[in-house]
Amino acid sequence: MAKYLVKRIFYLLLTLFIVITVTFFLMKLLPGTPLQNQQKLSPSQQHLILKQYGLTKPVWQQYLIYVGGVFQGNFGTSFQFSDQPVSYLISSRIGPSLLLGVQAMIIGVIPGILVGALGAIKKNTWVDTTTTIVSILGISIPSFVLAVLLQYFVGLKLQWFPIADWGGFSYTVLPTIALAASPFADTARFTRTEMVDVLNSDYIELARAKGLSKWGVIYHHALRNSLIPVVTIMGPLAVNIMTGSMVIENIFSIPGIGEQFVKSILTNDYPTIMAVTIVYSVMLMVVLLITDIVYGIIDPRIRISGKSN
Amino acid sequence: MAMQFSKTLTLAAISGASLLLFSACGSKSKRQLADDQTLHWVETADLPTMDPSKSTDVVSGGALNNVDEGLLRIGQGSKLRPGIAKAYHVSKDGKTWTFNLRHSKWSNGAPVTATDFVYGWRRTVKPSTAAQFAYLYNHVKNYDAVNKGKKAPSQLGVEAHGKYQLVVTLSRPQSYFKYLVASQAFLPQNQQVVNKYGARYATRSGNAVYNGPFKLTGWDGTNDTWTLKKNDQYWDAKATKLKAVKYRVIKDQGTWLSQYQTGKVDELMTDGTQYRHLKTSPDIHIRGSASMFYLEFNQRNGFFKNNLDARKAISLAIDKQSLTHNILADGSQAPKGLVPQNLAKKNGVDFADAAYVKSGTTYQLTEARALWRKALQQSGKSSVSLDLLADDTPNGKKTVEFIQSQLGKLPGLKLITATVPFNVRLSRSTQGDFDMVVGGWIADFPDAISFSSLFTSNNAYNRGRWQNKAYDTDVKNAEGKDANNPDERWNDLVNAEKTLMQQQGIVPLYQRTQAQLLKPYVHGVQYFPTGAQWDFSRAYISNHQ
Amino acid sequence: MADEVKLPADSFEPLDKSKHLDSEKIAAPNLTFMQDAWRRLKKNKSAIIAMIILIIFFVLAFGSAFFSPHNPNAVNPQLANLPPKWPGVNINGLNGTLVQAGSRVNAYQAAGAGAGVHYWLGTDYLGRDMLSRILFGTRISLTVAIVATAVDLLIGVTFGLFSGWKGGWVDNFMQRVIEIIMSIPTLVVVVLLILILKPGMSSITLAIAFSSWTTMARLIRAQTLELKEQEYVLAAKTLGESSIKIAFKHLLPNLSSIIIIQTMFTIPSAIFFEAFLSFVGIGISAPQASLGTLLNDGQKNFQFLPYQMWYPAIVLSVIMIAFNIFADGLRDAFDPQTKG
Repeated sequence: MAKYLVKRIFYLLLTLFIVITVTFFLMKLLPGTPLQNQQKLSPSQQHLILKQYGLTKPVWQQYLIYVGGVFQGNFGTSFQFSDQPVSYLISSRIGPSLLLGVQAMIIGVIPGILVGALGAIKKNTWVDTTTTIVSILGISIPSFVLAVLLQYFVGLKLQWFPIADWGGFSYTVLPTIALAASPFADTARFTRTEMVDVLNSDYIELARAKGLSKWGVIYHHALRNSLIPVVTIMGPLAVNIMTGSMVIENIFSIPGIGEQFVKSILTNDYPTIMAVTIVYSVMLMVVLLITDIVYGIIDPRIRISGKSN
Repeated sequence: MAMQFSKTLTLAAISGASLLLFSACGSKSKRQLADDQTLHWVETADLPTMDPSKSTDVVSGGALNNVDEGLLRIGQGSKLRPGIAKAYHVSKDGKTWTFNLRHSKWSNGAPVTATDFVYGWRRTVKPSTAAQFAYLYNHVKNYDAVNKGKKAPSQLGVEAHGKYQLVVTLSRPQSYFKYLVASQAFLPQNQQVVNKYGARYATRSGNAVYNGPFKLTGWDGTNDTWTLKKNDQYWDAKATKLKAVKYRVIKDQGTWLSQYQTGKVDELMTDGTQYRHLKTSPDIHIRGSASMFYLEFNQRNGFFKNNLDARKAISLAIDKQSLTHNILADGSQAPKGLVPQNLAKKNGVDFADAAYVKSGTTYQLTEARALWRKALQQSGKSSVSLDLLADDTPNGKKTVEFIQSQLGKLPGLKLITATVPFNVRLSRSTQGDFDMVVGGWIADFPDAISFSSLFTSNNAYNRGRWQNKAYDTDVKNAEGKDANNPDERWNDLVNAEKTLMQQQGIVPLYQRTQAQLLKPYVHGVQYFPTGAQWDFSRAYISNHQ
Repeated sequence: MADEVKLPADSFEPLDKSKHLDSEKIAAPNLTFMQDAWRRLKKNKSAIIAMIILIIFFVLAFGSAFFSPHNPNAVNPQLANLPPKWPGVNINGLNGTLVQAGSRVNAYQAAGAGAGVHYWLGTDYLGRDMLSRILFGTRISLTVAIVATAVDLLIGVTFGLFSGWKGGWVDNFMQRVIEIIMSIPTLVVVVLLILILKPGMSSITLAIAFSSWTTMARLIRAQTLELKEQEYVLAAKTLGESSIKIAFKHLLPNLSSIIIIQTMFTIPSAIFFEAFLSFVGIGISAPQASLGTLLNDGQKNFQFLPYQMWYPAIVLSVIMIAFNIFADGLRDAFDPQTKG
């Protein structure tokens, strides 16, 4: 296990290094500077500003400085905000994003599992049909459309929850629902397929034959065994939520990292774009690592050997 | 001598009048003040900096105008009122300006003195600050040499005579210098505070001091909410009724409307569709701005160089009435020329009317097509492919799509459009990487020169590099030999404008006007079409429960 | 072993050949793999309905290039923001009226449109016909999605086949590459690529393709690893068949079901991605439209002109639903054993 972990973390660092390198050089290909009004500055003043941003050194030196900085948590200075370190920009915005993300994960995955299981247990009945329709809708309706509809009908017409902004828990309700729709649908579909499979297996037959009650079988054997594979879709779900947050945070005016990312893209704030890219990658890699470890722990059939596939 | 005296008098008279006006207004309506004097305001972009030397955008400009105070303040109707300067006088040759300052304090209790102005101005001009708006000082003595690092900052034509007198020496007369000293680039700065925070100065609300009606709180440099709180140290604090102005950034226009409707925010700048549907609301306030959006042609080389017919054809093919009335439909006006309407007046005549050249902005498709054919012949081509660049703002996109459909009616023209982020548009237009670009400008101060100076041959904002000797001479005269002669100066600028439009150096597209929804219980918010736009120092909330 | 039964030859009696000739005959017609899948698919009603819906959308979207009610880019400034109006129908929402400043007004009259003017789905802020815009947008969305999926297929299948076939350190290295790519969120890759390629239809297509081929590659590799141990592949190898020929003649046909199923799942996610990017503002640029840009435009005025968001949203959702159901059906039909 320890050996496996070391190996995984080594790969994680290697990947991170490659991500940093690739994004750094991609960004160097792009036009745009921190100068807002360059025509009114003399060349020496332009040079001075670029120097403050460390942009006058040869590219390879900039690269080394950047890589060194990243591993110390220094992502350079934002082009958009005067003299603001990007690391501060991110650390002050990651809270709302994480909160929303975790909430969306919880209210997406848990009901998703229940609905999916219900669909499988009541296979080929109206319950199954309904849950299937709901989950297909969840996958097919874009989160941004859902967000606008929630805002209008629940926020403005019914006035149940705040329409936008960031404050207490009530402010998180609508954006969380908008974000959770797609993970909910994914989980429900996945759980249903797994559960149907499990319910058809021999050991369920055996358990039934031994006279266990229907719900006892489902709870003790079917649900537990069909949940194990669900862990594997956590990675894709996390990506899903990160993607969604970019628009959702914008629509709901939430000071999060996704909103910052879109803003940086639209203002060509390259240091911030790079930093968010790296942060997103790290988050995803950590989620993938955790799911792998958890998967290994809860499923005795999987022996972590580093060759698991 | 007579002139100095009269100027001092006028200013005093105005300030008296505005005070009277205010109290009259207050007593007439007998409005009761609400208990909660908090105004909820919205910005669509973040606050990037609060350093007066580094501010280049409208968000920080608006905030600075409320938390700091320069020598003079711009008030309702673009009239100047006294700020930290109680009075000022100008020498007969127009080159020496003397400001007498009042006794006032920074928010940390330190006195605001002439030295603070001297320090702030030198800091803005000296090369190491690399202030992007330092050019506003270009009439101040030794500006060029100091800004290029050839002379020490102490050589700049500004000095403190004692604690409360500031003397400014200009290299040439500048009648509108009075408006400049009311702008952000001319604010005082407290040397101790700047030194204390160094590079972190004014990058968060605690790292600066304020001498205006409000002080900034709750801003950590990147967050999207911040609050202006009443500044008790302000010399006129008793006139400030608001306890706080709470700002938040909302980027989504639909969200903003919902927030306004549910009373979470007190104002809304409508877009076209919202305006159309809320036109009859009693909350509507029309906010005309001294801004112009126009089409520039790349005349460095390529198709439009020395091709007046082509430029005219493009202008004649775009129906500006339809653009403003049907497409933008947000209250924007069709232009009469480059200089916006209601920016400058003389003897009751608006500059835009005085310099109106009808053929420069009119829509005449048949003529446009004929001219375009001629233009193609002149260039010896049967068809031409041109690109059109604009901002990726909602209005930028609408404008581009509209122009594209309009120019589609010109024979043999293939238009490739691109809408890009603001920074990209700027850098591409500065480098001349375009055939046509939609640019915009908002006047820094209420004088036609704010626009006219843009299209002289050497101005960096003349991105198309349109060149015309007569135009250059007229503008030069207005800034030089006729600077102290209002009539001649006016004629110079009118002539320049006429030349620009006759030669179709640019195509004016629309003058931005927006309709604002303001809750009926908000009073006394001052709006001005130039520069920083908002002043809350006299605003208050009436009882509305 | 002890008691050996001895059966003399004459205890066996030959059957009459003519009587039992048919015992080896297959009564049902000989079905190819595809025919068999099609037979199973036909039984799945919802999948068939989804397929028909998709065909209708394809025909409408691509047919509208030749016959369209209006030119999707024709600007009519006077007729901007008109709500839907159906001739002879007088239901609010379809009769050309909308609520303006608190009261219901006839927008067509107010705009000075003639009595014969009616737009089935209304007009947008430039007075362009929404129906034509939506058809045009659907065409672009579908084109982006299909081209992206085709490129994705090309890269993914080649990569997966090569990796699986070669095995050893080549395979190991190629798998690490995939792992690295997969641990960068797709969206970030797409955004970076679009920033570099400049927003536009081709760059968005490439960006989506480049960031989504990894799943395909993984599936193909896993299957290839299994297939290459099969006897018929070994036989082909032994007979000296070249690797390329084996790939085309033996592997690809056996991988086709996986490829088809995966493709059917990739297309909707590509459609969604395109819509998402255009919604954020880095997708298709004007005057081209996609379902994403239409949604973005419509969303701004949802309170006043709800039809500008509803219709593109419905079209997008229906296409997504149809693709998902159809893909489910295909998977069941091709490979009843596979689980999702």
